[in-house]
Amino acid sequence: MASAADIARALLIAARDGPAVASCTVMGATDGVEVAPGAKMLVYEDRNLGAIGGGPLEGAVAEFGRRAIPKHLVQTCAFTPDGELVEGRRAIEAADAIVEILVEVVEPASTLLVVGGGHVGLAVGQLGAMLGMEVAIIDDREDYANDERFPYEANVICGDFGEELERFPINANTYIVLVSRGHKVDELALRTVAERGAGYVGMIGSKRRTRTVLQHLAEEGIEPDALDKVFTPIGLDIGAETPEEIAVSVLGEIILVRRGGGAQPMSEHGRMLASIRR
Amino acid sequence: MPQDEVYEAMSSAFEQGAPVALATVAQTLGSTPRKTGAKMLVREDGSFVGTIGGGCGEAEVWQEAMDALDDGDARMVTVDLTEPVDGEDKICGGVMRIFVERLEA
Repeated sequence: MASAADIARALLIAARDGPAVASCTVMGATDGVEVAPGAKMLVYEDRNLGAIGGGPLEGAVAEFGRRAIPKHLVQTCAFTPDGELVEGRRAIEAADAIVEILVEVVEPASTLLVVGGGHVGLAVGQLGAMLGMEVAIIDDREDYANDERFPYEANVICGDFGEELERFPINANTYIVLVSRGHKVDELALRTVAERGAGYVGMIGSKRRTRTVLQHLAEEGIEPDALDKVFTPIGLDIGAETPEEIAVSVLGEIILVRRGGGAQPMSEHGRMLASIRR
Repeated sequence: MPQDEVYEAMSSAFEQGAPVALATVAQTLGSTPRKTGAKMLVREDGSFVGTIGGGCGEAEVWQEAMDALDDGDARMVTVDLTEPVDGEDKICGGVMRIFVERLEA
């Protein structure tokens, strides 16, 4: 049986180093349903720690928690006592009995590793910091890699691209943006990071240039699967022109990868107004 | 928003054998200062780590956390930020439900 201290320690490890865990806490239930508010179960990809009373409810919550991990969910959910997820306010109000569960994916803060401290790198880092990511920026030119240049919290690294990238810790929560001064440097950087399991690798450049880079690396024997996962040309197609707009396009793509979504306007272009006028 | 500060504080309290109260934003409606999952940890001496939203309702939640440390009961606190105070509107205009629990090793 996992004690509260075991659970707290496991949460600390998840928040500090990962891997991610879905922390599922019973918060309460409608009258007549026996639950223990505060009961916690930590759901990992391959196991659970702790328990929330067993039975079909526990199984359903574990299943839900497991699916929540890749989506980085933090959400209060309602289940029936026999483990059916109830969604939507009306359905929850209509249900006879509800158990409320807080599902929180606990994981280390995501890191945005920006390779290249130029105009685009500057803007990408700024937007990443705004989104709560831990930002690191690497360049080998001191003019483009000094603390004064970046008016936001960032780990600014000035040094050889290959050596610094080699040293930089990379995991599934690392998002890498290659926006250096030229495709030679981007190629070197991609060679160093492609096979290290980053959550996202994007590389700037025209279709033609980026294809050449991928081709070189494939010929060198870099895993085709890893190269297939590189987002290049980088960003969402929103017609971005300025460095700041490109940053929005790039971070938009990163949010899309993290959260999933359709990457389309929410609206149905003009139809809303038409239906109101009718 | 990294929460490791809160977990760090929880872990060190447990190492000293001390209980803590943990307040977590469980649900928000409308405009609220912090989102679901934001946490504040309160120690027995009243000191705390993390925030569930600055002035907006935090004192109320802190009091509930102290009570939870006392009686051991988990509870749900609803903080309504839509009611005007002293004739002035609060800056935030939403409602937060905050789950408060006592945890000990």
